[in-house]
Amino acid sequence: MSENQVPEEIQESAATEAAKLGIGTDEWVAQHEERIARKKGIKGLPQLINESIPAWARWGVLLLISFAFGAFVDNQYLLRIGVNLGLFVMLSYGLNIVMGYAGLLDLGYVAFYGIGAYGYALMSSEQIGHHWSTWLTVLIIIIGTALLGYIVSLPSRRLFGDYLAIVTLFFGQVFVQLVLASDNITFPWAEDYVDITAGANGIPGIDPFSFFGHKFLNIRDYYWLLLVLVALLTIAISRVNRTRIGRAWRTIREDALAAESMGVMVNRLKTMAFVTGAAIAGLAGAIFAAMQTAVFVSGFDMPLMTMIYAAVILGGSGSLAGAVMGAIVMSVLPEVLRVTNYSEILFLAVLVLTLAAVGKSVKRFTINIVGIALIGFLVKILLGAASIKTTPTKEWVVGPVSRALSHWMYVPLDRVLWGNCAFVILIVLIAYFTTTTPRIKSILLPVIGYLGIFLWEVRLVTDVNTTRQLLIGAMLVVLMITRPQGFLGKARVEVL
Amino acid sequence: MSYLGQQLVNGLTLGGVYALIALGYTLVYGVLQILNFAHGDVYMVGAFIGFFVMVGLGGPLKPSVPVAVMILIMFLVAMLGTGLLGIVIERFAYRPLRNSTRIAPLISALGVSILLQNAALLLFSANIRSYDTSSYISSTLGFSFADITIDGVRLFVLVLSIALMFGLARWVNGTQVGRAMRAIAYDRDAAVMMGIDVDKVIRWTFFVSAALAGAAGVMNGLLLRGVSNGMGLVPGLKGFTAAVVGGIGSIPGAMLGGLLLGVVESLAQGYLSTNFSDTITFALLIVVMLLKPNGLLGKRAIVKA
Amino acid sequence: MLKLSNVTMEFGALRSISELDLTVNEGEIVSVIGPNGAGKTTLFNVITGIYTPTSGSVELEGKSLVGLDPARVNHAGVARTFQNVRLFLNMSVIENVMSATYGHTRAGLFASALALPKSRKEEKAVRAKAEELLSFFGSRLTGYRWDQPAYSLSYANRRRLEIARALATEPKLLLLDEPAAGMNPKETQEITQVVERLRAEKGLTILIIEHDMHVVEGVSDRVVALDHGVKIAEGNFDHVATHPDVVEAYLGRGAADRK
Ligand SMILES: Nc1ncnc2c1ncn2[C@@H]1O[C@H](COP(=O)(O)OP(=O)(O)O)[C@@H](O)[C@H]1O
Ligand SMILES: [Mg+2]
Repeated sequence: MSENQVPEEIQESAATEAAKLGIGTDEWVAQHEERIARKKGIKGLPQLINESIPAWARWGVLLLISFAFGAFVDNQYLLRIGVNLGLFVMLSYGLNIVMGYAGLLDLGYVAFYGIGAYGYALMSSEQIGHHWSTWLTVLIIIIGTALLGYIVSLPSRRLFGDYLAIVTLFFGQVFVQLVLASDNITFPWAEDYVDITAGANGIPGIDPFSFFGHKFLNIRDYYWLLLVLVALLTIAISRVNRTRIGRAWRTIREDALAAESMGVMVNRLKTMAFVTGAAIAGLAGAIFAAMQTAVFVSGFDMPLMTMIYAAVILGGSGSLAGAVMGAIVMSVLPEVLRVTNYSEILFLAVLVLTLAAVGKSVKRFTINIVGIALIGFLVKILLGAASIKTTPTKEWVVGPVSRALSHWMYVPLDRVLWGNCAFVILIVLIAYFTTTTPRIKSILLPVIGYLGIFLWEVRLVTDVNTTRQLLIGAMLVVLMITRPQGFLGKARVEVL
Repeated sequence: MSYLGQQLVNGLTLGGVYALIALGYTLVYGVLQILNFAHGDVYMVGAFIGFFVMVGLGGPLKPSVPVAVMILIMFLVAMLGTGLLGIVIERFAYRPLRNSTRIAPLISALGVSILLQNAALLLFSANIRSYDTSSYISSTLGFSFADITIDGVRLFVLVLSIALMFGLARWVNGTQVGRAMRAIAYDRDAAVMMGIDVDKVIRWTFFVSAALAGAAGVMNGLLLRGVSNGMGLVPGLKGFTAAVVGGIGSIPGAMLGGLLLGVVESLAQGYLSTNFSDTITFALLIVVMLLKPNGLLGKRAIVKA
Repeated sequence: MLKLSNVTMEFGALRSISELDLTVNEGEIVSVIGPNGAGKTTLFNVITGIYTPTSGSVELEGKSLVGLDPARVNHAGVARTFQNVRLFLNMSVIENVMSATYGHTRAGLFASALALPKSRKEEKAVRAKAEELLSFFGSRLTGYRWDQPAYSLSYANRRRLEIARALATEPKLLLLDEPAAGMNPKETQEITQVVERLRAEKGLTILIIEHDMHVVEGVSDRVVALDHGVKIAEGNFDHVATHPDVVEAYLGRGAADRK
């Protein structure tokens, strides 16, 4: 776009020779950044999507789909996925305010979700014997989590970056420990111990939401509630982001000292970000508890925290659309992985895409595929010659992909041992791959591809949770190195 | 009195372990100003390596070498292994991000931490392993004075952790790499201009820091705590707390912080409640951060404008 | 307007400012000169509340600034630029300016989220004001660049944007830290005019750190020379520029005699 813009611009403001030169220089600098940011091929895809589809169209389509989903889908399982997605989006939004806008790394964020859930559980179940009105309970939770957010934000006034991260991470751990330990509190003055949280047993029998006499007995009720909430939050947060408070949050992220010198009340704004994020998470927690009708503290621990972070970062921290996209990936992906049929296909798709992206040309791509096939046969022959016992085909074939592979793959009897070996070798090879010469790379690629397939069929496909976490971990590292701004985020520069 | 003494001794042992972890945080922070989130998981890997070396040497019941040699090999292999792991982590998760935004290495480290935990889960399953120390180090070993008994394992761990700290101090002050490390911590740009090979020094720093964590992991195993893939999180947090309480970037601070934290935790467990000890440690961290943001022995951070 | 008396700033054993007295009168343009490390930037940091002076007092229109945090000092009417240009690089040019109106705007979280009329009105006013301030630099910072990220600006324009941002805080006193550093002669000359116009059109009092003697000569009513944190000369440009201590500070011992 800028190609034919430059001369125009120069003409427009050709006041003096110097001004001309100045603008030319600026324009060139601007283009330079753009040139660096603009990537070709698959890597340029996110940017292309970003630029070619206007925001209102994106949001409109999303809203339409969500609406149709709620109106026409009757499958309870699918609706539940929809509700989980809604909760995930809320959590991502809240974290996006704290981390994406204000730039505060809050690793205890998920604790607010847990506090919201436990708060609702305690006020609406037989655990203590309260069954307060939903209105009141939700109000108390929002105010309560906001207040807690305020308290946790106090150290953030003195701390920044890494320190804050650890303090909040610790806060999250303390929440878990407190819930676990609060089933058996003894006071010096009392005979009996007091059970507040039921510890690891969790709290069952939580009342569903009830507004104006309408009890939320159907999961669809929660779906609509969340759809409305998310829509409202999207509008509200994007408005805030565009105006005074949002701008001030971003100045803190950019340069807190400069912001302060320009009159931005840094501490107050940090607190405000924390409080807003905490209240959103608390509300989401209450909805979660009411929908599940049971809460367990293990659900509010590190694994969920990493998922939320992965969602926000994957989508692009600082972008609401990114938060939604990340939430979709992070909440739907596990469900897909759970069904082995789908997960196999997904894996194959990812593998082929990766090979295509790394291989660059059709010729190389073909060579890689043939290479993988040959290695497969070679392994089969070698292991067969060494008469290593195999696992009977029907025990490991879980779907169409593995059925197709079953004549080619050699799956040893001791799947754990062989899988572990393959895993270790694979990691070593990938590490080596990233540092070596192109020649060796092209030899390594089929080997890595084969090991990947082998490991997948032998171990990963049956171990959904570990696989998911491994993928998230790898994604975080790779994303930070290749595209730290995430899928829909803008590239950032930072002067240290 | 004897109860108090006993708690103090226990606390010092625990504190030695925390101090070793804290040193790792402080060393890395000193040269790179990043917080190595994956440090707690390196400690976990160290504990696993120690365990498998022990099993490889015949297991706790009938070791194929003398017990002292077995323990020595466990420590050496674990420290070497985690040290190399530290170098690998630096190479792949931190080095590409050296000129990146401030938040990027933190996220990347979070990724490494998740990777390590789940790789361990995949490889070693979720079973909790035990070093079974009592079957090869008699619990009657050790000595007692007044009413305080110090059993052999505790004494060994305490002595070894102090020895490692001395070793570290020697390394930092006495070797060329150690001095270069301090130079980089003091002023990276100047160090580069003086011709110091920054990459090499950072590699060494990660090696040493991770090796200390590995040793701490083995000690943890010897002290009869379970070894499992998620074991790194809480000690990692405590180690960091110790580093911050002492003043991050300060080596004596990390040692002091570790010992202090161990004693506080042990006293809290002994006199207040066993269930809430982490909460109490957390409270200590918050109090120190609010009262002395730079830690007990830390230098004042310089604000540049 | 600004009055520093007996200000000392120590970092451990290092004395960056030593028993400094300084007065800036309303409507005056005062330059601070001195070799690198003389303590000029530290002086700005002390005035703006980034550092708290070890001893001494800093007063703006009779009110003490000591102990206020930088935001409050700014609200009291002091704005500054930074020697090493600290913009909000990933925000757009106009947002950089708009964000600096924070101190004298009111719209809160809920007002913005609900887009209440008063918040919208304020937003409009803020934008108009930012556009006006950017127009202060004429064709240099005009329209089409306003929605581009600040990092896309050239170095000279970053400096200009930083001034515009400082103006958006509606200061009475403006502190400029080496505004002409890194500019070419033409741009440097422009800066001289800009400083003049800032006083004439915006009615500002200005304290300026500058190494370029043409700028100093061009703009200053009064010049203060620092060396090792100590005020070594004060007066009009000619007086200070030829003062033996100043020449010595710049050129080394003996230089003054040789001249
Ligand atoms: N935060 C700080 N800590 C320690 N020393 C400082 C600090 N800020 C400035 N100094 C020292 O104060 C002296 C004056 O620096 P500065 O005010 O930046 O000089 P200049 O006149 O070039 O702007 C220098 O020796 C500098 O090292
Ligand atoms: Mg300066």
